Amino acid sequence: MSAKKKQHVYSRSLDHAFLAVYNAYVFFIRFFRETFRGRMEFQEMVKQCYAIGNKSLLLISLTGFITGMVFTKQSRPSLAEFGATSWLPSLVAIAIVRALAALVTALISAGKIGSSIGAELGSMRVTEQIDAMEVSAVNPFKFLVVTRVLASTITIPILMFYCTLVSLMGAFLNVTLNEGTSFIAFFESAFEQITFLDIGTSVAKSVAYGFTIGIVGCYQGYNASKGTEGVGKAANSAVVISMFLIFIEEVIIVQVSNYFRV
Amino acid sequence: METSNKRSVKVGLFVFIGILVFVVGILTIGSMKKVFSSTITIKTIFEDVNGLKPGNNIWYSGVKIGTVKTIRFLENSKVEVMLNIEEKSQEFIRKNAKAKVSTDGLIGNKIIVLYGGTQKVPSIEDGDELVVEKMESTEEMLAVLSENNKNLLGITSAFKTISKNILAGKGTVGMLLNDERLYNDLDQTLGAMKKASVNAQALTASLADYTAKLTQKGGLANDFATDTVIMKDLRGSIARLNETVSSANVMVNNLKTASAELNSNKTSPLGVLLHDEATAANLKGTLKNLESSTEKLDENMQALRSNFLFRRYFKKKAKEEEKQPAKEEVKEQVNQ
Repeated sequence: MSAKKKQHVYSRSLDHAFLAVYNAYVFFIRFFRETFRGRMEFQEMVKQCYAIGNKSLLLISLTGFITGMVFTKQSRPSLAEFGATSWLPSLVAIAIVRALAALVTALISAGKIGSSIGAELGSMRVTEQIDAMEVSAVNPFKFLVVTRVLASTITIPILMFYCTLVSLMGAFLNVTLNEGTSFIAFFESAFEQITFLDIGTSVAKSVAYGFTIGIVGCYQGYNASKGTEGVGKAANSAVVISMFLIFIEEVIIVQVSNYFRV
Repeated sequence: METSNKRSVKVGLFVFIGILVFVVGILTIGSMKKVFSSTITIKTIFEDVNGLKPGNNIWYSGVKIGTVKTIRFLENSKVEVMLNIEEKSQEFIRKNAKAKVSTDGLIGNKIIVLYGGTQKVPSIEDGDELVVEKMESTEEMLAVLSENNKNLLGITSAFKTISKNILAGKGTVGMLLNDERLYNDLDQTLGAMKKASVNAQALTASLADYTAKLTQKGGLANDFATDTVIMKDLRGSIARLNETVSSANVMVNNLKTASAELNSNKTSPLGVLLHDEATAANLKGTLKNLESSTEKLDENMQALRSNFLFRRYFKKKAKEEEKQPAKEEVKEQVNQ
């Protein structure tokens, strides 16, 4: 018993937690090392970009549109109290551009893409396809992980822009139905308050979210174990951890952007 | 294997702490806006800060120049507010500038507004204290507004009574509005005034005409106004007139004295003439005699002309008189 106890540095659970951090760190470092070393799998990356974008487009369109419309609807009473419904377009635009679009895109993608990557790589690991690739002199990390992480890092910002537009269209629909605002007036008012810092912050956020979704999904899938159960666990963990990290990143990036904001 | 696992756990711990420090550092720096910009701290003491909080902005001439650093109580319910002012704005704020708590917009955050200050006074320095101007709080403003409402109510009530009285024909204004007789009088008065104004118009026209004449050159009044010589002459004439008047005065005085003398001295020849009736009667008789004597003398003289001794003399004289005008005519023709 005493010999077994000595195996733990702190305690069993703490050791597990720190080991998980260590493994994630090693995976993270390996990703950067593999990215800048050797030939890039461009074709696979483009294929993954298409898959990620195509898979999420409809879902993001619907979610973004509804988000814009509902947010506008919910904000109206507060502004109407001050007789300031004319500020609705700029308020909604600020909310969408600064936070909502990037967050909605990231959360939808975490559910859709993160789980997909986790499950795909997990099943490949469980069915020993990854081992087979290693044996056949193909770098599975570069081919499977780097391409997917880069694909999600590139695609999520694009999806974010698309989501912004769709959300604003949802907001416009609500505003035009209630206030009869014209399309040009709405967008002029909406972008009046938007600065390059807002857009830059939003892009930085979605790059970070995309990278997080990709790397967490890949990490969970790549390190899956315990058969089919491990595949489900990998997919689940990919979604949960990436969503959790997305919110932490949101806080950090907002703090950093506020520092630059006068 | 065991050693490797141990090392992995330690690296994991290190990475975890690293991430933690990074996140905490970012959150701290993000909340401490402009942490690297150099600032100075000045002090203000308010009686009421109206919900001001640390981190609220400070404005000077509408420009944000810093944030509220700390707020703490002093004795006698006074509040000390420390202000962080950007060093680059320091030179523009004078030591005699004032501070007040205001609002960013109608319903916005509380802010501190610095204002005033004169160029002659030096700029603020670290640790200075600014004078505070007490601002009316919303409650005080509402209290004043409530008082105003009461006054307004009183005024409108008074107006109501006044309008009621007017409608009832009470008072001067009421009479004026309701009494037809008064209206007629007023109408007549206005008619008279109209006439008067027509007359006044005519008068002013005449006056205008007259003044036009005054300005016309060569007129007496114009000369008075413009000619510098005439006044001099006039002054001379007046001086001479004065002299004449003085002389006349002296003469009148003399006459007065003489007449007084005459009145008083009744024995003098003139006094006798004036006062003695008997003498006057004698004089009258004498004059009568003199008149008859002259008539008789005239008759005698007439008779003398007819006398042969003097007839020749008179004839000769008559002839000379006839010749005299003829000579004068010849002289005139020669001259011409």
